[in-house]
Amino acid sequence: MNPLRAEHRRQLVEFLRTIQKAGVPVESLRDEDRLVASGLIDSLAILQIVAWLETTYGIDFSVRGVSPEELGSIGGILDVIEQEKGAVTAAQP
Amino acid sequence: MFTELSVGHLVEPFGSRRWSPAEIHSQIRKRLARFERLGLRPGDRVFLLFGNRPEFFAELLALWKLGACAVPVDARLTAFEVETLARAAEPKLAVGDEATSAESLAALERAGARALLTGETGPGESDAARVRLDDDALILFTSGSTGEPKGVLHTHRSLRARWMGLREHLPDEVFARTLCLLPTHFGHGLICNCLFPWLSGHDLYIAPPFRPDLVAQLGRVLDEHAITFMSSVPPIWKLALKLARPPQRGSLRRVHVGSAPLSAALWEDIRRWTGTRQVCNAYGITETGSWVAGLDDADVPVQDGLIGRGWGAVIQVLKTNATTQPLQPELACEPGESGYVWLNTPALMKGYFRRDDLTARAVVDGWFMTGDIGFLDEHGRLVLRGRERDEINKGGMKIYPADVDAVVERFAGVTDVCTFALDDPIYGQSVGMAVVLQNGSDETLCALYAWMKSHLAEHKLPSRWWVLETIPRTSRGKVNRDAVKAACQRQPPLDLPAVLARAARS
Repeated sequence: MNPLRAEHRRQLVEFLRTIQKAGVPVESLRDEDRLVASGLIDSLAILQIVAWLETTYGIDFSVRGVSPEELGSIGGILDVIEQEKGAVTAAQP
Repeated sequence: MFTELSVGHLVEPFGSRRWSPAEIHSQIRKRLARFERLGLRPGDRVFLLFGNRPEFFAELLALWKLGACAVPVDARLTAFEVETLARAAEPKLAVGDEATSAESLAALERAGARALLTGETGPGESDAARVRLDDDALILFTSGSTGEPKGVLHTHRSLRARWMGLREHLPDEVFARTLCLLPTHFGHGLICNCLFPWLSGHDLYIAPPFRPDLVAQLGRVLDEHAITFMSSVPPIWKLALKLARPPQRGSLRRVHVGSAPLSAALWEDIRRWTGTRQVCNAYGITETGSWVAGLDDADVPVQDGLIGRGWGAVIQVLKTNATTQPLQPELACEPGESGYVWLNTPALMKGYFRRDDLTARAVVDGWFMTGDIGFLDEHGRLVLRGRERDEINKGGMKIYPADVDAVVERFAGVTDVCTFALDDPIYGQSVGMAVVLQNGSDETLCALYAWMKSHLAEHKLPSRWWVLETIPRTSRGKVNRDAVKAACQRQPPLDLPAVLARAARS
């Protein structure tokens, strides 16, 4: 994993810890694991992920559009960040 | 119109099934024959442990034609909760589907109900019309799934009074193609969003609830099926506004939002997104057959808490919430003066099932004490300002702190507990818990978490825990949940995921 993606991942995991349910340690998830199916978050928590991406990375979903599928895994969310922010430096938390 | 139960089509907008009225009646007759073979009698109760698909409605109408009483149950409940409800309601049968858990079916059998799957109809068809207006028709459990269940009991008369009251105020044609995204064990979803239009002969598009992937396709579905009406709850609208493209076709004629507070800002956003000004903040209570007040013409300036006038109901705002003595005219609040909201309607429930004590605490002289706080404005419209009911409104799902407390208290290592509402950016409210433990070790915390998971439905589990030395109480020894919440929020919550992770590693 390149250093920028690794930094995005660190920030994302830190955020997921604030909205996760108790039973599944976020650290145990692989990038391809489904966040809802694994029991980490409930299905409507995708709204919180969208809001976090908007405020942290300035992604405008009203322009871009989004599908829950795209934001369904750590890897998917990192891909969205990279598509939108390209090689821009990691966001300041 | 309603007495002959004339139905429209049932359509799965995210699937390919479309049942015509002829197909629906055939499906009802098959189930009638099956219920008769199983010896079901008028007055018997039957749990429906599934919903939001055409078969649910065929089961419901088959039961009603036979004079039996349907009890739709939230399929997300744990087996423990299902058994608790079954021991209170004593259903003769329970019908599930392929998604119903084996544990829940076994729990029902333990409670004396024969369990079967909706697809198991067997041979033959039958017809019957044994329904009488004052038969018990529907029980919807609103609380007590972990201890003393509270079931709202409606008769056919009270349900039809609700639908007739709506018909007087709402234009029939706007319901021509109605979409339901709400669960069918829920008064708002079942009685008003589904049955009111469908039993008026309109087409019902029924979708699985709580599915963001489907909500993200809402604009497309509204266009594809030329949907004219839908109802939902604020969190679903927040999701749709964020994830779904707006509809292009302009088919929506009216939208209801209910079951949780609707802010003026969200109200305007929904109008913009849907393309209709007819967005109504519908006031619904299960005990009054759900939608009991709103705006006939919803094209008015939006306002936080604005509801409107009664639909087949008289609304009073009184200075008292006491049901121990007759209501007196001098108790009425002046226009603009906040007080307790009371309702009088022929759609009022028969009572709480086998709980006359609870009914007596909620109803006096036919007036129902809602527990909501509000006022009547200078136009006679109801404006809600809050509520006094001891409940947590998680995006329209009502969670009763006593239900959670009852489970936690029974865990051996717990000395005291108090659950309360936390502010939540998506749901409006979520569940917080203060708990006092004899021993706050990781092992105890993990065991308590496992105990709660096996006894409480997922949506009732507290999202934040605080482990305290004592729970603050009043001088009379009572718990003030707001005071407990304030005490908790002065310190960080327990990092429960970290505790569980540590325990898993060791």
